[in-house]
Amino acid sequence: MSAAVNLRKIHDYLFEIPPHGKMHVPARLYLDERSLRELLENQSSEEWNAIRQLENVACLPGIVKAALAMADVHPGYGFPIGGVAAFDPKAGGVISVAGVGFDINCGVRCLRTHLTWSDLAGKEEKLADTMYKVIPAGLGSTGELKLSPKEIDRVLREGARYAVHLGYGREEDLEYIEEHGQLNDADPSVVSHTAKQRQMAQVGTLGSGNHYVEVQVVDQIYHARAAEAFGLERGQIVIMLHTGSRALGHQIGTDYLPFLEKATRKYGIEIPDRELVCAPIESPEGQQYFRAVMAGANCAFANRQVLTHLVRQAFWKGLQVPETAIETLYEVAHNTVKWEVHEVDGERRRLLVHRKGSTRAFGPGRAELPERYRAVGQPVLVGGTMGTASYILVGTEQGMRETFGTALHGAGRAKSRRQAKRQYPAERIVEELRKQGIIVRAHGKASISEEAPGAYKDVEHVVEVMCNAGIVARVARLRPIICLKG
Amino acid sequence: MPYKYLDHEADIGLEATGTRLEEALRDGVRGLLSLLVDPETVEPRETVPVQASGDDPGALYVALLNAVLAAVDLYGMFFRDFELTRLERVNDHWVAEGTLYGEPMDLERHAVEIEVKAATYGGLLAEQTETGWRLRCVLDL
Repeated sequence: MSAAVNLRKIHDYLFEIPPHGKMHVPARLYLDERSLRELLENQSSEEWNAIRQLENVACLPGIVKAALAMADVHPGYGFPIGGVAAFDPKAGGVISVAGVGFDINCGVRCLRTHLTWSDLAGKEEKLADTMYKVIPAGLGSTGELKLSPKEIDRVLREGARYAVHLGYGREEDLEYIEEHGQLNDADPSVVSHTAKQRQMAQVGTLGSGNHYVEVQVVDQIYHARAAEAFGLERGQIVIMLHTGSRALGHQIGTDYLPFLEKATRKYGIEIPDRELVCAPIESPEGQQYFRAVMAGANCAFANRQVLTHLVRQAFWKGLQVPETAIETLYEVAHNTVKWEVHEVDGERRRLLVHRKGSTRAFGPGRAELPERYRAVGQPVLVGGTMGTASYILVGTEQGMRETFGTALHGAGRAKSRRQAKRQYPAERIVEELRKQGIIVRAHGKASISEEAPGAYKDVEHVVEVMCNAGIVARVARLRPIICLKG
Repeated sequence: MPYKYLDHEADIGLEATGTRLEEALRDGVRGLLSLLVDPETVEPRETVPVQASGDDPGALYVALLNAVLAAVDLYGMFFRDFELTRLERVNDHWVAEGTLYGEPMDLERHAVEIEVKAATYGGLLAEQTETGWRLRCVLDL
């Protein structure tokens, strides 16, 4: 079946595939004609194609309303990246490894600084070198924090709070992290010894691939009220940090894949793709996986907290900028599964929301948001590429109604890593970016070629689609100055 | 090539073939090692045992690749080569054992490529062909 045949245009920024075959709900994609055409043209494989993956998600038991894809959608494994699906436990809803991903609670933290662009002028190279030295990144790097098994268990239970307890960052940081950096349902006893051992030297490391620390300047403000609430102004320096739960999260995914496959068989769940192994949320297996994921999520919170501290150290060592001049604006993840209350068809329901490569984007008034932002809505952090803008957006009421309060998480890949590697030699990319005033430091050449700006969709366009659809609104555009990669 | 990489927007597919399942599993691991680091820059000074099990050859392939990824972190080593030493069907599941050859990580000397997060069941295929076995899965990068 060709996925494109069944696509129905709802409005200029939303397409729908009505339920067919074993789909319980429709699949909906936030795309315009151009991004839909690009998505269809760029598919590197008929088999792992994002639209088919979204249709497969719509076949899972207990899914509510629709399987959704944001404008940055591209193929993943099981779920498409940019996917959102909410499940009702009362309707046999499930929890799925593929809906979270192996990099559990991978996310972005944005730090705002008291610095302006002119404060950095002429010192960019020095800062880049210091960041490169201070922040462990790339395959094989280890963190300065070496934890005992007992301490690892505390990381898994207490998340960012434990990192603050150890002296990494400040109490105020926690206020501006989703869930205050600590999920209470975490249970270290359902996380394997191997997972914990792999993590012992990896807390406070960035990783590689699309993970980065980027120093950026605010070059455009679109929404004065939200920008004021978020403490943003034009010319200000901000820092974005993108990483996840490192080896611990990867191992939890690895351990629970066969575990949930057995559960899938036990409960007689029909799945259209083996990667979609899952268990009913309220089954013992589903509950166990959920508690393991929460532990993995806490590890990611702690990791970003330690990295925040290292960023502050780099600014101090490189430029003598005091720690207090760098504050957490917000941290939000994009590989998550969480209990949330949403109104569906006029009824408030407690749903388990999976976000795979999509960001929670709550509108105004939600109790989960820090008081300072509650009246305007949640900051939504959208990472661009090394050579293009990133965005800070804000969640809307309409997003709450349509997408379970979810928006895009990045530009979204358009070319495969292998294509990018062939097409963009690392040296050429570094030189081109240097001419644009962007300094890149990377531990591995592959991270530069594979993450070259040309390998991604046009971030301006995907942001425009989501904003025109009314799911989010622009607050600020950020332009890269220094990019540190693994 | 006994293994090849397949295009995938966000990740990468790893396909291994062999006249026997043992060879396909071995070459899949070799394909994974080459993604992490240039094997030519790693000396085979030390050995590390790995073992994996799965309900079927596909699950075994994924489990074996993941066991190798775990070994990289657990031993703090990069590996140049892999040999499969045992493949057996025990009751209702498959077991594989093998040996990795490598040395402790030396970021000055080892040409590090990219971190692989995990082998997944995405695009998983384990089939017998006219010439032997074909194994395939998507690796999360």
